[in-house]
Amino acid sequence: MTQKGVQTVVKINIGDGAAIPCKKDSGLFTAWWLTFLGAIAIIIYLCVVEPEPYWRILTFLPDGVLVTFQVTVLSIILSLMLGFITGLGRLSRNRVFNLIASTYVEIIRGIPLLVQLFYIYYALGRINLFQNLPPLAAAVVAMGICYGAYMGEVFRAGIQSIDKGQTEAARSLGFSRAQTMMLVILPQAWRTILPPVGNEFIALLKDSSLVSILAVSDLLRRGREFASESFLYFETYTMVALVYLVITLFLSKAVSKMEQRLNYYERD
Amino acid sequence: MNGTRPIIEISNVYKFFGQLQALNDITLTINAGEKVVIIGPSGSGKSTLLRTINRLESIDSGSIVVNGKDIYARGSDINVIRQELGMVFQNFNLFPHKTVLDNLIMAPMKLKKIPRLEAKKLALNLLDKVGIKDKANVYPSMLSGGQQQRVAIARALAMNPKIMLFDEPTSALDPEMIGEVLDVMVTLANEGMTMVVVTHEMGFAREVADRIIFMDRGQIVEVGTPKQFFTQPEQPRTQKFLSQIL
Repeated sequence: MTQKGVQTVVKINIGDGAAIPCKKDSGLFTAWWLTFLGAIAIIIYLCVVEPEPYWRILTFLPDGVLVTFQVTVLSIILSLMLGFITGLGRLSRNRVFNLIASTYVEIIRGIPLLVQLFYIYYALGRINLFQNLPPLAAAVVAMGICYGAYMGEVFRAGIQSIDKGQTEAARSLGFSRAQTMMLVILPQAWRTILPPVGNEFIALLKDSSLVSILAVSDLLRRGREFASESFLYFETYTMVALVYLVITLFLSKAVSKMEQRLNYYERD
Repeated sequence: MNGTRPIIEISNVYKFFGQLQALNDITLTINAGEKVVIIGPSGSGKSTLLRTINRLESIDSGSIVVNGKDIYARGSDINVIRQELGMVFQNFNLFPHKTVLDNLIMAPMKLKKIPRLEAKKLALNLLDKVGIKDKANVYPSMLSGGQQQRVAIARALAMNPKIMLFDEPTSALDPEMIGEVLDVMVTLANEGMTMVVVTHEMGFAREVADRIIFMDRGQIVEVGTPKQFFTQPEQPRTQKFLSQIL
């Protein structure tokens, strides 16, 4: 970016989740390809050379992968909605709205996710209305509330990264606050927000393994079930780890592709 | 010029940035069709004054009436008032995620409900006027600074404002691009647009201004025609400023 008056894109780095490959290391011999192909190769090798127990483990896991995805996708949708509201709240000039959003973030960031999961699960159980809530729903609510706080910070930083001149230009033309946000700020902020959201998505997928303690039969729980029946702990968790690795690597690639497409109006 | 109907009436405006007095009892009336150039050293409050005219800054006391409406009064709809005021910024502030054409048609379509085809026709006319019709479908990042600023002027004109405010429109430009932007502004002035311009371009001020306002430390120090101002400034502070820049 050399032109005056054109904003540079701020990168928000949240050091969690798999590293998102960037444009520069797009060759064949990158860490990403090495890990991805390596993981696939090991899975294939194990299943071919020792189909008993590895192939049996691998075929036992897909149900869990599905549940893991279910929890992850639903939680991310909930956390995006919460995060959007929280991000706006943190930037709001309305004192009450601002205070509520900030307090929410403070509380959530101060409690470990595992504790939150337990707490929300059992707290929801105490409310009559939610007594028969399936574990999966409770898990999604807990994960969504937790990640909503982190998402809120991502949204806030993304919105704040847009130059104040953009708001002033839009307002000068006669756009209202809301129109300025929807038409000018968010379409630009999205570019800054997406990479960390992708990161959070991947981190959430990994953290979703925690819901296995809530009787949700996700990937890890399926593994535990298999292991406790067969006593093949090492073999099972090897397979579980490899499957998680392949999924997260796949997702990090998808996020980086999406990121590149979002930069369509940037001069190279 | 077309008569002496006041279109901007600034009365006893005070503004503080913390301890700093940014505007100190500013009173100024600008008539429809008039071209007013505000000059002064940096930090004199000239940009702040310009920005108060469309409420990009708050004021601590006083009033500003634009086109008969008190813009700082409770209940006045600033979004409607601003449609009458075009603003051009030092840093252009084009929307980088929109093409040049979309930058121009966005506000007329959303705010004035002008149909797309009509807005597009209007926008292309304006781009023709500022001399960059061929760049209609590119993104702002592909344009030079001078081109971007001309697009920004066209974007402001697309709302068909009664008044144009220019906040140091050439200060961020490379020297060879200043001329092309000033040319557009001169054309606009000759068409009878009411213009308030904060600038360091003394040549432009001399050629175009009906009145020059000299500000220092938040106050209006001297007001005069370009001829008076540049040949016989009355105030010692004005004389000192002119001796430094000319």
